Amino acid sequence: MASGMQEKQYTPSLLSFFVYNPTFGPREGEEEKKILFYHPSDVEKNEKIRNVGLCEAIVQFTRTFCPTKPAKSLHTQKNRQFFFEPEENFWIVMVVRNPMVEKPNKDGKPPTIEYQEEEILTMLQYLFNGTFGRAMEVGGVEQLIQKLEKFFYRYLQTLHLQSCDLLDVFGGISFFPLDKMTYLKIQSFVNRVEESLSLIKYTAFLYNDQLIWSGLEQDDMRILYKYLTTSLFPRHSEPELAGRDSPLRPEVTGNLLHYGRFLTGPTNFKDPEAKFRFPRIFVSADDGYEELHLIVYKAMSAAACFMISASVELTREFCEQLDSLVGPQLTLLASDICEQFTINRRISGTEKEPQFKFIYFNHMNLAEKSTIHMRKTASVCLTSVHPDLMKILGDINCDFARVDEDEEIIVKAMTDYWVVGKKSDQRELYVILNQKNANLIEVNEEVKRLCATQFNNIFFLD
Amino acid sequence: MCYQCCDWFKQHRPHLVEKRDSNGLNMEGAVDSDTSSITTEEPQTEAKPSSDQVTNTETDSISNTEDAATDNSQSDSGEFVVTMLAKAKLEEQGLGVKGRSSPLLEAGTQDMPAYMSHREEDVTAESWRQHRKHVFVLSEAGKPIYSRYGSEEALSSTMGVMMALVSFVQTSDNIIRSVYSDEHTVVFLQKGPLVLVCVSCTRQSEQQLRGELMYVYYQIISMLTQASISRIFEHKKNYDLRRLLAGSEKILDGLLNLVDSDPSFLLGAVHCLPLAASLRDSLSQILQKAITSNLVFSILIAKNQLLTIVQEKTVIEDARLEPADVHLLLNLIGASSAFQAGEIWTPICLPLFNPDCYFYAYISYLDPPECTVCLLLLSTDKEAFYAVAECKRKIEEAMTAQNSLSLIDKAQSYSVSQVGVSDLRHFMYKPFDVPDNYRQLSQFTSPEMEAPYSSEEEKTRLLDLYRYMHSRIHSTSRPLKLIYHVAEKETMLAWVTSKFELYTCFSPLVTKACAITAITKLLRWIKKEEDRLFIRYPPKYSTTPNPSKSSRSSKSDQQDSTDNGFLSLL
Repeated sequence: MASGMQEKQYTPSLLSFFVYNPTFGPREGEEEKKILFYHPSDVEKNEKIRNVGLCEAIVQFTRTFCPTKPAKSLHTQKNRQFFFEPEENFWIVMVVRNPMVEKPNKDGKPPTIEYQEEEILTMLQYLFNGTFGRAMEVGGVEQLIQKLEKFFYRYLQTLHLQSCDLLDVFGGISFFPLDKMTYLKIQSFVNRVEESLSLIKYTAFLYNDQLIWSGLEQDDMRILYKYLTTSLFPRHSEPELAGRDSPLRPEVTGNLLHYGRFLTGPTNFKDPEAKFRFPRIFVSADDGYEELHLIVYKAMSAAACFMISASVELTREFCEQLDSLVGPQLTLLASDICEQFTINRRISGTEKEPQFKFIYFNHMNLAEKSTIHMRKTASVCLTSVHPDLMKILGDINCDFARVDEDEEIIVKAMTDYWVVGKKSDQRELYVILNQKNANLIEVNEEVKRLCATQFNNIFFLD
Repeated sequence: MCYQCCDWFKQHRPHLVEKRDSNGLNMEGAVDSDTSSITTEEPQTEAKPSSDQVTNTETDSISNTEDAATDNSQSDSGEFVVTMLAKAKLEEQGLGVKGRSSPLLEAGTQDMPAYMSHREEDVTAESWRQHRKHVFVLSEAGKPIYSRYGSEEALSSTMGVMMALVSFVQTSDNIIRSVYSDEHTVVFLQKGPLVLVCVSCTRQSEQQLRGELMYVYYQIISMLTQASISRIFEHKKNYDLRRLLAGSEKILDGLLNLVDSDPSFLLGAVHCLPLAASLRDSLSQILQKAITSNLVFSILIAKNQLLTIVQEKTVIEDARLEPADVHLLLNLIGASSAFQAGEIWTPICLPLFNPDCYFYAYISYLDPPECTVCLLLLSTDKEAFYAVAECKRKIEEAMTAQNSLSLIDKAQSYSVSQVGVSDLRHFMYKPFDVPDNYRQLSQFTSPEMEAPYSSEEEKTRLLDLYRYMHSRIHSTSRPLKLIYHVAEKETMLAWVTSKFELYTCFSPLVTKACAITAITKLLRWIKKEEDRLFIRYPPKYSTTPNPSKSSRSSKSDQQDSTDNGFLSLL
């Protein structure tokens, strides 16, 4: 910098993403058949085959040392590759370019920055595709390839490597804090709707991208939650202008009696041409997977998801019925919750900016809570702390993952920030303290105070 | 060519010199009559270099090799350098001495059954897979050079795959670094024509594992020099380097065992045997007085730890003696019983000091038959054997006069209880503020590992915890200043400041306040004891006859001679 030359900075970026099955082209000359999906698609055929070949070789090589636990990632000077085998012989590979800072006059030693991507690459595709094997049974390899094409095209757009952090690793669900009365109101709303529209099999209720109620299994809800908050909601946020969304302006624009609208399915079901097709998702059932229609209906900041067996054909009448039943009620509920929310905020808002920020995660119910993230949206994850501190949180999380016992780790970063990680039972708490001159004992006292105010009923190791 | 190589060999061979032969008057200096009787039991022909034997050297070298094996079963791989050079030469000339069939090697393996079983392990067995840490060395042509477990032959296809991966990634203008699976970390390191691979199921970081591979590489360099390895492979890409390293597997095995069990390697610092400052000073003075021209380092070792080290002034102005070079020397001495036989004169390279040249090391134990106190004198002059041996005689004499050996014998490592801090179970302390730090070897101090870390498993577990703390606090991407880690079995604290680096282990229920008090007390104790725990003022001497001739130029002289001799073999 002193030399006046510019530093060139490369952020981590996705180089390629592919899906292959080594059993599909076992003979020489048929290697291309192994590849089920390859992004970017304009890569030359031989290059694709070469890259798949390397993955196969790496996986095979690591089997020499442990036949059951093959390679999960490969690190090279320029990039990192992550291998994930969701089903036997089906491999998903993601190649990410290493972030680098090229400094003039100095040899550009790439800093080692860990991604926690493999965790993110979970089972999202199951939600929409069911298993690879199942798709094969239904439509053969051809159809599988088409499905993958469609799914990953969309999925890759929601992938933002630069802003992945600990919360992505947890894949948790943020729950909306609510008083008992409002919670009961929501529950009774869900019950009423499910009773009137008996086709509905499962319901989930969200407010402000946070979950309030879900009838789904936890793991399915986790994936659905990820889809809703990172993909579906962001795509539909634009028409909802903030002002209109605000319950402080109750004047109804247009002829609508309520703010309810469908986020999936037809954009305007009054349109005679409208097709009543909804996305289909797969959730776990007693005998494998169950296929469902996903209807997402939103009024202001409240969103209700209704899931209906895929064997049922959805009609205009059903949608009209749902709209007229749910629309007004949901609008009312949304403003109730909003009121509640503002009151709560006013109470807690009287405190001045705390000296600490924290992330909490509970592995048992997937509940997460963060005061680090201002707002987690699909494109940017705004955090109020330095990325290096976020990565230290990631490191501590890795350390916790290695043992089952309760642990506590306190570190002092080079910038003199203190980071505290506590693991108790299935819960993890990470605190960043901005008291640079504090000593270990003071930091400990501060965290104790935090636990007492925020998590008074949870026991953490002292 | 033949002349040169013979000549070279003749000059570089180790001299197994029997005491009475080499120096008649030495007898009076012998401390223990028992000792001399043992060493004189098997008189050996002294390999005294003389220029009129040129035509004869070849047979001489063969007989020397065999002699070493038959006459003195102790001196197996100690002569690795001479052995491998001799063999390489014989092979080149078609005399048919093949790697493993060498009588010398058989002699070597007979008294090392454990060593044999590692080599003969079934590489398809589960037990082979479950080793904590595999290390492989191969050439760029994919030829196996070394495997820690299992024979290189049985692993040749596995090593072939490793090489294929390395070169495949290379073709896209990239370098393979590591592969991670749930259980293993595989680290690749390419150094010149050698590829080193580590497959580990420890918690160690990639950086640490790569550091360990560097030690393996350096140990190979210390035997052959970097320049000669490059030249060998430049000349013949698929050369089987095992020909030159045969017999030295034990040294690499020893190194890897040491790396796993001794924190010196992790900390990049040497461990001194605690010694009263007066005794250490008197030993240093003895070494300081016994000098000859071109002597550069005089090192006294006891129980595999440093007692004192005296360095040549001008040489260390040029380059610093790195802890890693000392570790390699200590491993070399520890890994082979050959040095217990008498006096050894052998070329050795200190890779961090200068990877391309040889020093000439005089190695002799001062307390046979116990063989715990070892003297190591390094010279830049290959002809200096007699002059250096004379230094040893002087040192021995002075040490007898001062009764040093029995004093050294009483010195031992200390117990953590001596610190007098309850809850403190163990620690490692590496200061940065040793006076004259600029030319000083990094040192550290650490008590014995006692209960609950007395079993091998628990020792390893504690070392693993230290390694993990070390990797986090020294992470390349985000180093830390302090780590306090409370776990089920212990509480660990690591702390790096500009003055020191400290790792401590407490009982699990210690409170933060107690831990901090304990550390304050510990630091105070170390300060009080530092003259005993460390070599505080590293002594020096001046042996360069002509001050204008810097050691660097003398180094290049040696390199020339190396080139002339060894490389013309090929």
